[in-house]
Amino acid sequence: MFENERDFRKLVARMKTNDEPNAAHREQLRRQVLETFEQAASRGRRTEGRGQRFEPIRPRFSVVCLPFLRLAIAAAILVAATAAVSMWLGAFGGRPTFDRVRLATESAPWLRAVATKYSNDEERTEQHWCNFAAKEVYIVPEDWAVVGYDYGAEQMKLAYSPGTKTLFISELPKAGPYGVESAYNFVQAFSVLAAKDDVAMEESTAEREGRAVRVYAIERADPALTVDGKAVARLRMTVFADSQTRRIVAAAVEYQGPAGTVTAREDWVMSYPTAGPASIYDLGVPRTARVSDMRQGYRGTPGEVPTPFTPTPASTSSFRLEPLRIELPKAMFRGTPVDARTPNLEKPRGSPRPAFLAPAGTANVARGKPVSSSDPEPLTGSLELITDGDKEAVEGNVVELGPHPQYVTIDLQEPCEVYAVVIWHQHRWPRVYYDVVVQVCDDPAFKTGVRTIFNNDADDSLGLGAGLDLHYTETYEGKLVDGRCTQGRYVRCYSNGNTHDELNHYIEIEVYGRPVN
Amino acid sequence: MVAIMAKPVEQTAYDDLVILAKSQTTALGRLYDLYYDRIFRFCVHRLFNRSTAEEVASSVFLTVAQGMPQFKGQTEQDFRSWIYTIAANQANAHIRKTMRRQRLMEDFGARRRAREQGPHEWSSLDWPSLYAAIQELKPEHQTILTLRFFENMDYDDIAGIVGARPATIRVTLHRILRRLQEALRGDLGGEE
Repeated sequence: MFENERDFRKLVARMKTNDEPNAAHREQLRRQVLETFEQAASRGRRTEGRGQRFEPIRPRFSVVCLPFLRLAIAAAILVAATAAVSMWLGAFGGRPTFDRVRLATESAPWLRAVATKYSNDEERTEQHWCNFAAKEVYIVPEDWAVVGYDYGAEQMKLAYSPGTKTLFISELPKAGPYGVESAYNFVQAFSVLAAKDDVAMEESTAEREGRAVRVYAIERADPALTVDGKAVARLRMTVFADSQTRRIVAAAVEYQGPAGTVTAREDWVMSYPTAGPASIYDLGVPRTARVSDMRQGYRGTPGEVPTPFTPTPASTSSFRLEPLRIELPKAMFRGTPVDARTPNLEKPRGSPRPAFLAPAGTANVARGKPVSSSDPEPLTGSLELITDGDKEAVEGNVVELGPHPQYVTIDLQEPCEVYAVVIWHQHRWPRVYYDVVVQVCDDPAFKTGVRTIFNNDADDSLGLGAGLDLHYTETYEGKLVDGRCTQGRYVRCYSNGNTHDELNHYIEIEVYGRPVN
Repeated sequence: MVAIMAKPVEQTAYDDLVILAKSQTTALGRLYDLYYDRIFRFCVHRLFNRSTAEEVASSVFLTVAQGMPQFKGQTEQDFRSWIYTIAANQANAHIRKTMRRQRLMEDFGARRRAREQGPHEWSSLDWPSLYAAIQELKPEHQTILTLRFFENMDYDDIAGIVGARPATIRVTLHRILRRLQEALRGDLGGEE
């Protein structure tokens, strides 16, 4: 037996194998190679690459400001410009075209909006639930300090303090900081501004995440608008409405400084579930929380509080928002190394993911469901591993698909309302997977009725439409994608290689939702 | 034919050729002529199948042709590292893709069982058996082994291709030979 390199080299040397090249293949390939080279050279230097991907506008903060103050002042400009009371009466002018958008949006039983607000180099996410018929809106921020506005019969503001476990009840401000603080007010405020004679509304059509949308944009310049004593020269609000349903599907607010730089930004994504919370208690506020009614100077617990002072009881139906319980696998590395190569990379949170709210009874409807793929023969593993519930990043759990764009499709076997999709690619290392797109559809071929709920393919290399979402680093937490209450039977996830190699990996995909029926 | 084929190349003589090949078809043709046999043999040794090796070699050279105008390297050493990296990756991807490894293991398992009927002679070790043992290594280790013993590369060159330090390659290679030795020893019924 060989004992060292020299021995092994001798062993190899006496092995005989036919490794003589084939002259015909060599010549044929030579022609192909040179033709390919000429074509590549004639196209010139490639200018599109991952290093030059689309960079979304991230706020650069030339104005140091408190978010609350900024919102308050912006809202004051917006809301004080009209008679606030007339807003509740629905007396909006609005341009004819946007009026139809507003009416279509407000005709929905519920509007759910996820607002991502960038300010002071921080990113905050809130979930808004609006009932236009009852004129109620509930806002759930990441810290669970739930706020509710009842613009209808009760005319009150509810604010829950998790620290003191107290629910504060106060009167609605007649005008002021609630101006664009909620999705409810956003729709109203946009209508009001759009109707003003001195505000020009731009209207255009575009494609957003694979579907046709109408884009409405207005800008408001007001020299009186200041934040922390510094001028906010311009406010730009953009609304994206679905061309077919005319309902708002997304919106954005930009605050520009005097130099034209974006000093703060809010991104909104809207969806229209069939049911929503009937009370602030449906949003995780405990029934045992103390109630402090600042209108009446009353404090007590719900059992002691006289009926007129108590908020609406929790709904008796099954709808109640609860934090999604996601079982996490073992973390395979500590921290998140800084990746300077991948553009548009999500900033590491540095803390556990905040709880995600979903209606009670929401479960992983993908568990054990059949999976198909664009690569029918995985390089390693088998497709059923993707929905087997095992998320540990160990050998034998990973499904490895071929290079280039590949997708997996989960058949939920019945139409479901999807609240969240959680994806674990290979999370053993802090890799970034490219061109991650998540779609929900009722058509198994994904040709009609496709709804894209996540897309970070910024340069549209998959041909599904350019996405605005950011790249992210794989961790044991997986990537939680907001399902936007989208209804569909099939969930499809795309990827296109990763920072380590060109292959595509999946350990687990969970789809949290409820059957529609 | 004896497997050891590759010879050290006079690096500086071809540095200009690499630079010219970024923009000139004839220069790329010369580079192709220089590297076709080496890459093909590397693929044969990694894949143990001539037609598969031709397929993978084609893919390697077409990738090179597409990427050559943007190739940032300046020397033949850079080019060699680049093309062998492509070849190693594509050979590994091909093995994974076609599950050849699994099928080969089954084939060679049958051969081994058949051989168990005969004498357990170290001298009887043939290329298929050695290849079967090599195939039981990790793909990255197979690449290192092939580059070292079939392509006659030094540790620095291998380190450049697989993205590790030469010292790491040296230690890894030592461990690879250990594992191979154990595998072959088991295969030959413990015969030394």
